[in-house]
Amino acid sequence: MRHALTLRIGPATFRIGSAWRAPLAQIAHLYAAYPRVEGAIADFTVRLQPTNMLRRWVRPSIFITGDHGLADAAPMSLAHGLLAAEMGMNLQMALGWRRHLLLHASSVEKDGRALVMTGESGSGKSTLAALLGERGWRLMGDEFALLDLECGAILPFPRLVSLKNGAIDVVADAVGEARMGPLLRATAKGDIRHMIPRDGAVSRMDEGATPRLLLFPRFGHRAEERAVGQGEVFMRLTQASTNYVAAGEAGFRALTRFVADVPARAVDFSSGDEAIAMVERLWDERA
Amino acid sequence: MQQGFGTVDAQKTYRRDPADRVTPCTLEDLTLLYHHASGQTHMVISPVPELLACMADGVAMTAGDLHDCLARDYDLGPRDAAEAEIAAHLDALASLGLVRPA
Repeated sequence: MRHALTLRIGPATFRIGSAWRAPLAQIAHLYAAYPRVEGAIADFTVRLQPTNMLRRWVRPSIFITGDHGLADAAPMSLAHGLLAAEMGMNLQMALGWRRHLLLHASSVEKDGRALVMTGESGSGKSTLAALLGERGWRLMGDEFALLDLECGAILPFPRLVSLKNGAIDVVADAVGEARMGPLLRATAKGDIRHMIPRDGAVSRMDEGATPRLLLFPRFGHRAEERAVGQGEVFMRLTQASTNYVAAGEAGFRALTRFVADVPARAVDFSSGDEAIAMVERLWDERA
Repeated sequence: MQQGFGTVDAQKTYRRDPADRVTPCTLEDLTLLYHHASGQTHMVISPVPELLACMADGVAMTAGDLHDCLARDYDLGPRDAAEAEIAAHLDALASLGLVRPA
Protein backbone atom coordinates (compact mmCIF):
# COMPACT_ATOMS: atom_id res chain seq x y z
CA MET A 1 0.00 0.00 0.00
CA ARG A 2 1.11 3.54 -0.70
CA HIS A 3 1.02 4.61 2.99
CA ALA A 4 1.56 2.23 5.88
CA LEU A 5 2.45 2.05 9.55
CA THR A 6 2.79 -0.75 12.08
CA LEU A 7 1.83 -0.30 15.70
CA ARG A 8 1.20 -2.43 18.74
CA ILE A 9 -1.87 -2.24 20.97
CA GLY A 10 -1.71 -4.61 23.93
CA PRO A 11 -0.61 -8.00 22.61
CA ALA A 12 -1.67 -7.35 19.01
CA THR A 13 0.41 -5.82 16.23
CA PHE A 14 -1.38 -4.14 13.35
CA ARG A 15 0.00 -3.11 9.99
CA ILE A 16 -2.31 -0.49 8.60
CA GLY A 17 -2.05 0.38 4.95
CA SER A 18 -3.95 3.07 3.11
CA ALA A 19 -4.26 4.39 -0.41
CA TRP A 20 -4.58 7.88 1.11
CA ARG A 21 -2.24 9.75 3.42
CA ALA A 22 -4.80 11.53 5.61
CA PRO A 23 -6.26 8.63 7.62
CA LEU A 24 -2.78 7.34 8.48
CA ALA A 25 -1.58 10.79 9.50
CA GLN A 26 -4.50 10.94 11.95
CA ILE A 27 -3.74 7.43 13.22
CA ALA A 28 -0.05 8.32 13.66
CA HIS A 29 -1.00 11.44 15.64
CA LEU A 30 -3.59 9.78 17.88
CA TYR A 31 -1.45 6.68 18.48
CA ALA A 32 1.78 8.69 19.00
CA ALA A 33 2.33 7.19 22.48
CA TYR A 34 1.98 3.59 21.27
CA PRO A 35 4.96 1.49 20.21
CA ARG A 36 5.62 1.84 16.48
CA VAL A 37 7.08 -1.48 15.41
CA GLU A 38 7.90 -0.95 11.74
CA GLY A 39 9.27 -4.12 10.21
CA ALA A 40 7.76 -6.38 12.86
CA ILE A 41 5.65 -9.33 11.78
CA ALA A 42 2.14 -8.04 12.29
CA ASP A 43 -0.68 -10.14 13.69
CA PHE A 44 -3.07 -8.38 11.36
CA THR A 45 -3.09 -6.27 8.27
CA VAL A 46 -5.76 -3.62 7.78
CA ARG A 47 -6.15 -2.09 4.34
CA LEU A 48 -8.06 1.01 3.41
CA GLN A 49 -8.44 0.93 -0.31
CA PRO A 50 -10.60 2.66 -2.91
CA THR A 51 -13.78 0.85 -3.86
CA ASN A 52 -12.45 1.18 -7.42
CA MET A 53 -9.58 2.99 -9.14
CA LEU A 54 -11.49 6.19 -9.79
CA ARG A 55 -12.73 6.44 -6.24
CA ARG A 56 -9.25 7.26 -5.02
CA TRP A 57 -9.78 10.78 -6.33
CA VAL A 58 -13.45 11.25 -7.22
CA ARG A 59 -15.66 11.33 -4.13
CA PRO A 60 -13.13 9.05 -2.44
CA SER A 61 -14.79 5.96 -1.05
CA ILE A 62 -13.01 3.57 1.32
CA PHE A 63 -13.37 -0.17 1.38
CA ILE A 64 -12.07 -1.73 4.62
CA THR A 65 -10.32 -5.05 4.25
CA GLY A 66 -7.28 -6.96 5.48
CA ASP A 67 -6.56 -10.50 6.68
CA HIS A 68 -10.24 -10.79 7.51
CA GLY A 69 -12.92 -8.90 5.68
CA LEU A 70 -16.66 -8.62 5.46
CA ALA A 71 -17.92 -9.06 1.93
CA ASP A 72 -20.88 -6.76 2.45
CA ALA A 73 -19.13 -4.02 4.45
CA ALA A 74 -20.47 -0.68 3.27
CA PRO A 75 -17.86 1.65 1.76
CA MET A 76 -17.12 4.75 3.82
CA SER A 77 -16.32 8.33 2.91
CA LEU A 78 -12.66 9.41 3.07
CA ALA A 79 -13.72 12.00 5.67
CA HIS A 80 -14.34 8.99 7.94
CA GLY A 81 -10.98 7.40 7.13
CA LEU A 82 -9.89 7.36 10.77
CA LEU A 83 -13.05 5.51 11.70
CA ALA A 84 -12.46 3.08 8.85
CA ALA A 85 -8.99 2.29 10.22
CA GLU A 86 -10.38 1.82 13.74
CA MET A 87 -13.18 -0.39 12.47
CA GLY A 88 -10.65 -2.33 10.43
CA MET A 89 -8.56 -3.03 13.55
CA ASN A 90 -11.64 -4.08 15.51
CA LEU A 91 -12.73 -6.34 12.70
CA GLN A 92 -9.37 -8.10 12.54
CA MET A 93 -9.41 -8.67 16.31
CA ALA A 94 -13.02 -9.84 16.37
CA LEU A 95 -12.56 -12.29 13.52
CA GLY A 96 -8.99 -13.38 13.94
CA TRP A 97 -7.71 -13.22 17.52
CA ARG A 98 -7.17 -16.66 19.09
CA ARG A 99 -4.72 -16.21 21.95
CA HIS A 100 -7.30 -15.00 24.46
CA LEU A 101 -11.03 -15.21 24.90
CA LEU A 102 -12.26 -11.96 23.43
CA LEU A 103 -15.09 -10.27 25.30
CA HIS A 104 -16.90 -7.32 23.81
CA ALA A 105 -16.45 -5.31 26.98
CA SER A 106 -14.66 -2.34 28.46
CA SER A 107 -12.37 -2.74 31.44
CA VAL A 108 -10.60 -0.60 34.01
CA GLU A 109 -8.17 -1.51 36.78
CA LYS A 110 -7.53 -0.45 40.35
CA ASP A 111 -5.09 -2.05 42.83
CA GLY A 112 -4.39 -4.89 40.41
CA ARG A 113 -8.06 -5.89 40.08
CA ALA A 114 -10.21 -5.38 37.03
CA LEU A 115 -13.74 -4.11 36.60
CA VAL A 116 -15.26 -5.48 33.39
CA MET A 117 -18.32 -3.85 31.77
CA THR A 118 -20.17 -5.43 28.91
CA GLY A 119 -23.19 -4.37 26.92
CA GLU A 120 -24.51 -3.45 23.53
CA SER A 121 -23.36 -0.40 21.64
CA GLY A 122 -24.94 2.58 23.42
CA SER A 123 -24.99 0.89 26.85
CA GLY A 124 -22.46 3.41 28.13
CA LYS A 125 -19.61 0.97 28.70
CA SER A 126 -17.08 3.03 26.71
CA THR A 127 -18.08 6.33 28.27
CA LEU A 128 -18.00 4.86 31.75
CA ALA A 129 -14.56 3.32 31.18
CA ALA A 130 -13.30 6.63 29.77
CA LEU A 131 -14.62 8.62 32.74
CA LEU A 132 -13.32 6.12 35.31
CA GLY A 133 -9.96 6.30 33.53
CA GLU A 134 -9.86 9.99 34.53
CA ARG A 135 -10.78 9.32 38.14
CA GLY A 136 -8.08 7.13 39.55
CA TRP A 137 -8.67 3.97 37.54
CA ARG A 138 -6.44 2.66 34.77
CA LEU A 139 -8.28 2.31 31.48
CA MET A 140 -7.60 -1.15 30.03
CA GLY A 141 -9.86 -0.92 27.03
CA ASP A 142 -13.22 0.32 25.83
CA GLU A 143 -14.07 -2.31 23.24
CA PHE A 144 -12.41 -5.67 23.91
CA ALA A 145 -11.35 -7.27 27.17
CA LEU A 146 -8.95 -10.15 26.65
CA LEU A 147 -9.46 -13.06 29.05
CA ASP A 148 -6.31 -15.11 29.54
CA LEU A 149 -7.11 -18.76 28.81
CA GLU A 150 -4.61 -20.06 31.36
CA CYS A 151 -4.56 -17.75 34.38
CA GLY A 152 -7.95 -16.06 34.05
CA ALA A 153 -6.53 -12.51 34.10
CA ILE A 154 -8.01 -9.69 32.03
CA LEU A 155 -5.43 -8.21 29.68
CA PRO A 156 -5.60 -4.68 28.31
CA PHE A 157 -6.34 -3.70 24.74
CA PRO A 158 -6.31 0.09 25.20
CA ARG A 159 -6.98 1.38 21.74
CA LEU A 160 -8.49 4.81 21.23
CA VAL A 161 -11.81 5.15 23.02
CA SER A 162 -14.64 5.54 20.57
CA LEU A 163 -17.29 7.99 21.81
CA LYS A 164 -20.63 8.57 20.20
CA ASN A 165 -23.11 11.44 20.13
CA GLY A 166 -24.00 12.68 23.63
CA ALA A 167 -20.97 10.98 25.21
CA ILE A 168 -18.54 13.10 23.19
CA ASP A 169 -18.95 16.36 25.12
CA VAL A 170 -19.14 14.62 28.49
CA VAL A 171 -15.75 12.99 27.95
CA ALA A 172 -14.17 15.93 26.09
CA ASP A 173 -14.99 18.16 29.09
CA ALA A 174 -13.30 15.65 31.40
CA VAL A 175 -10.11 15.03 29.40
CA GLY A 176 -9.52 18.25 27.47
CA GLU A 177 -9.24 18.93 23.74
CA ALA A 178 -5.62 17.83 23.39
CA ARG A 179 -6.58 14.20 23.89
CA MET A 180 -9.54 14.24 21.54
CA GLY A 181 -9.49 13.26 17.87
CA PRO A 182 -11.40 14.98 15.06
CA LEU A 183 -15.19 15.03 15.17
CA LEU A 184 -16.52 12.59 12.57
CA ARG A 185 -20.01 13.76 11.72
CA ALA A 186 -22.93 11.67 10.53
CA THR A 187 -21.29 8.25 10.42
CA ALA A 188 -23.47 5.13 10.36
CA LYS A 189 -23.45 5.30 14.19
CA GLY A 190 -24.01 9.06 14.40
CA ASP A 191 -21.27 11.50 15.40
CA ILE A 192 -18.08 9.86 16.61
CA ARG A 193 -14.98 11.22 18.27
CA HIS A 194 -11.98 9.28 19.55
CA MET A 195 -10.21 9.85 22.84
CA ILE A 196 -6.53 9.14 23.50
CA PRO A 197 -6.15 7.13 26.73
CA ARG A 198 -3.97 8.55 29.49
CA ASP A 199 -0.24 7.80 29.41
CA GLY A 200 -0.47 5.09 32.07
CA ALA A 201 -3.05 3.16 30.07
CA VAL A 202 -0.57 2.83 27.21
CA SER A 203 2.69 2.45 29.14
CA ARG A 204 1.14 -0.31 31.27
CA MET A 205 -0.73 -2.03 28.45
CA ASP A 206 1.12 -5.30 29.02
CA GLU A 207 -0.07 -5.52 32.66
CA GLY A 208 -3.12 -7.68 33.21
CA ALA A 209 -5.38 -7.71 36.27
CA THR A 210 -7.49 -10.26 38.10
CA PRO A 211 -11.18 -9.70 37.36
CA ARG A 212 -13.12 -8.71 40.46
CA LEU A 213 -16.48 -7.33 39.32
CA LEU A 214 -18.57 -7.63 36.17
CA LEU A 215 -21.18 -5.00 35.32
CA PHE A 216 -23.89 -4.87 32.70
CA PRO A 217 -24.36 -1.11 32.36
CA ARG A 218 -27.43 0.37 30.70
CA PHE A 219 -27.55 4.09 30.04
CA GLY A 220 -30.82 5.99 29.76
CA HIS A 221 -32.81 4.41 32.57
CA ARG A 222 -33.69 5.31 36.14
CA ALA A 223 -30.90 4.34 38.54
CA GLU A 224 -31.33 0.72 39.52
CA GLU A 225 -29.17 -2.23 40.31
CA ARG A 226 -29.78 -5.97 40.38
CA ALA A 227 -27.79 -9.16 40.76
CA VAL A 228 -27.44 -11.31 37.64
CA GLY A 229 -27.54 -15.10 37.92
CA GLN A 230 -24.57 -17.11 36.72
CA GLY A 231 -26.54 -18.80 33.94
CA GLU A 232 -27.57 -15.46 32.50
CA VAL A 233 -24.02 -14.12 32.88
CA PHE A 234 -22.62 -17.11 31.03
CA MET A 235 -25.13 -16.76 28.22
CA ARG A 236 -24.57 -13.03 27.84
CA LEU A 237 -20.80 -13.43 27.84
CA THR A 238 -20.87 -16.12 25.16
CA GLN A 239 -22.93 -13.68 23.11
CA ALA A 240 -20.41 -10.94 23.90
CA SER A 241 -17.48 -13.08 22.83
CA THR A 242 -16.50 -13.19 19.19
CA ASN A 243 -14.28 -16.25 19.57
CA TYR A 244 -15.88 -18.41 22.28
CA VAL A 245 -16.64 -21.25 19.86
CA ALA A 246 -13.22 -21.05 18.21
CA ALA A 247 -11.47 -21.17 21.61
CA GLY A 248 -12.89 -24.65 22.24
CA GLU A 249 -12.44 -26.30 25.62
CA ALA A 250 -9.89 -23.69 26.74
CA GLY A 251 -12.55 -21.02 26.19
CA PHE A 252 -15.15 -23.05 28.08
CA ARG A 253 -12.84 -23.47 31.06
CA ALA A 254 -11.76 -19.83 31.09
CA LEU A 255 -15.29 -18.48 30.79
CA THR A 256 -16.86 -20.81 33.38
CA ARG A 257 -14.08 -19.91 35.78
CA PHE A 258 -14.72 -16.22 35.17
CA VAL A 259 -18.48 -16.62 35.73
CA ALA A 260 -18.02 -18.69 38.88
CA ASP A 261 -15.44 -16.33 40.39
CA VAL A 262 -16.63 -12.85 39.43
CA PRO A 263 -19.81 -11.38 40.91
CA ALA A 264 -22.07 -9.68 38.40
CA ARG A 265 -24.51 -6.77 38.64
CA ALA A 266 -26.74 -5.05 36.12
CA VAL A 267 -26.71 -1.28 36.62
CA ASP A 268 -29.11 1.19 35.03
CA PHE A 269 -28.24 4.87 35.15
CA SER A 270 -29.22 8.18 33.60
CA SER A 271 -25.96 10.15 33.86
CA GLY A 272 -22.23 9.60 34.05
CA ASP A 273 -21.97 10.95 37.60
CA GLU A 274 -24.74 8.64 38.77
CA ALA A 275 -23.06 5.66 37.13
CA ILE A 276 -19.67 6.45 38.63
CA ALA A 277 -21.17 6.74 42.12
CA MET A 278 -22.85 3.33 41.65
CA VAL A 279 -19.66 1.72 40.34
CA GLU A 280 -17.52 3.09 43.17
CA ARG A 281 -20.04 1.90 45.77
CA LEU A 282 -20.30 -1.59 44.28
CA TRP A 283 -16.53 -1.79 44.08
CA ASP A 284 -16.09 -0.72 47.72
CA GLU A 285 -18.71 -3.24 48.85
CA ARG A 286 -16.54 -5.96 47.35
CA ALA A 287 -13.44 -4.68 49.22
CA MET B 1 -45.57 -31.82 28.17
CA GLN B 2 -47.52 -35.04 28.74
CA GLN B 3 -48.69 -35.14 25.13
CA GLY B 4 -46.59 -37.35 22.93
CA PHE B 5 -45.04 -39.31 25.77
CA GLY B 6 -47.43 -42.16 24.98
CA THR B 7 -45.45 -43.07 21.88
CA VAL B 8 -42.25 -43.69 23.82
CA ASP B 9 -40.80 -47.17 23.56
CA ALA B 10 -40.04 -48.23 27.12
CA GLN B 11 -37.66 -50.94 25.94
CA LYS B 12 -35.45 -48.59 23.91
CA THR B 13 -31.96 -48.52 25.38
CA TYR B 14 -29.43 -45.73 25.43
CA ARG B 15 -25.84 -45.49 26.55
CA ARG B 16 -23.12 -42.94 26.99
CA ASP B 17 -20.16 -43.55 24.75
CA PRO B 18 -16.61 -42.40 25.57
CA ALA B 19 -16.71 -40.54 22.25
CA ASP B 20 -19.52 -38.37 23.65
CA ARG B 21 -17.40 -37.23 26.59
CA VAL B 22 -18.44 -33.94 28.18
CA THR B 23 -16.80 -31.62 30.67
CA PRO B 24 -19.46 -30.47 33.12
CA CYS B 25 -19.55 -27.24 35.08
CA THR B 26 -22.24 -26.34 37.59
CA LEU B 27 -23.27 -22.68 37.77
CA GLU B 28 -25.85 -22.20 40.51
CA ASP B 29 -28.95 -24.16 39.43
CA LEU B 30 -27.82 -25.06 35.94
CA THR B 31 -25.15 -27.27 34.48
CA LEU B 32 -23.02 -26.57 31.45
CA LEU B 33 -21.76 -29.50 29.42
CA TYR B 34 -18.86 -28.94 27.06
CA HIS B 35 -19.14 -31.65 24.40
CA HIS B 36 -15.63 -32.38 23.20
CA ALA B 37 -16.49 -34.05 19.92
CA SER B 38 -18.56 -31.14 18.61
CA GLY B 39 -17.11 -28.24 20.60
CA GLN B 40 -20.68 -27.32 21.55
CA THR B 41 -21.67 -26.08 24.99
CA HIS B 42 -25.02 -27.35 26.27
CA MET B 43 -26.88 -25.68 29.09
CA VAL B 44 -29.04 -28.14 31.02
CA ILE B 45 -31.03 -28.27 34.23
CA SER B 46 -32.26 -31.06 36.48
CA PRO B 47 -32.99 -33.92 35.77
CA VAL B 48 -30.51 -34.06 32.88
CA PRO B 49 -27.31 -34.00 35.01
CA GLU B 50 -28.81 -36.68 37.27
CA LEU B 51 -29.76 -38.84 34.27
CA LEU B 52 -26.28 -38.56 32.80
CA ALA B 53 -24.75 -39.41 36.18
CA CYS B 54 -26.80 -42.64 36.28
CA MET B 55 -25.41 -43.52 32.84
CA ALA B 56 -21.80 -42.66 33.74
CA ASP B 57 -20.46 -46.20 33.48
CA GLY B 58 -21.54 -46.59 29.85
CA VAL B 59 -24.00 -49.43 30.40
CA ALA B 60 -27.05 -49.44 28.10
CA MET B 61 -30.20 -48.44 30.01
CA THR B 62 -33.92 -48.12 29.36
CA ALA B 63 -36.12 -45.37 30.75
CA GLY B 64 -37.25 -47.94 33.32
CA ASP B 65 -33.66 -48.65 34.40
CA LEU B 66 -33.05 -44.96 34.77
CA HIS B 67 -36.25 -44.53 36.74
CA ASP B 68 -35.00 -47.15 39.21
CA CYS B 69 -31.63 -45.45 39.45
CA LEU B 70 -33.13 -42.00 40.10
CA ALA B 71 -35.83 -43.33 42.44
CA ARG B 72 -33.11 -44.33 44.93
CA ASP B 73 -32.44 -40.65 45.60
CA TYR B 74 -35.52 -38.77 44.44
CA ASP B 75 -39.30 -38.95 44.81
CA LEU B 76 -40.38 -39.23 41.19
CA GLY B 77 -44.15 -39.47 41.63
CA PRO B 78 -46.28 -41.87 39.55
CA ARG B 79 -44.03 -44.30 37.69
CA ASP B 80 -45.69 -44.11 34.26
CA ALA B 81 -45.48 -40.35 33.98
CA ALA B 82 -41.92 -40.24 35.29
CA GLU B 83 -40.74 -42.96 32.91
CA ALA B 84 -42.36 -41.23 29.97
CA GLU B 85 -40.61 -38.02 30.90
CA ILE B 86 -37.27 -39.79 31.25
CA ALA B 87 -37.77 -41.40 27.84
CA ALA B 88 -38.45 -38.01 26.29
CA HIS B 89 -35.27 -36.63 27.86
CA LEU B 90 -33.29 -39.57 26.49
CA ASP B 91 -34.64 -38.88 23.04
CA ALA B 92 -33.67 -35.22 23.30
CA LEU B 93 -30.20 -36.10 24.62
CA ALA B 94 -29.70 -38.53 21.74
CA SER B 95 -30.58 -35.82 19.23
CA LEU B 96 -27.98 -33.56 20.86
CA GLY B 97 -25.36 -36.30 20.63
CA LEU B 98 -24.91 -36.60 24.39
CA VAL B 99 -26.18 -40.20 24.54
CA ARG B 100 -26.73 -42.69 21.74
CA PRO B 101 -29.21 -45.51 21.14
CA ALA B 102 -27.60 -48.74 22.32
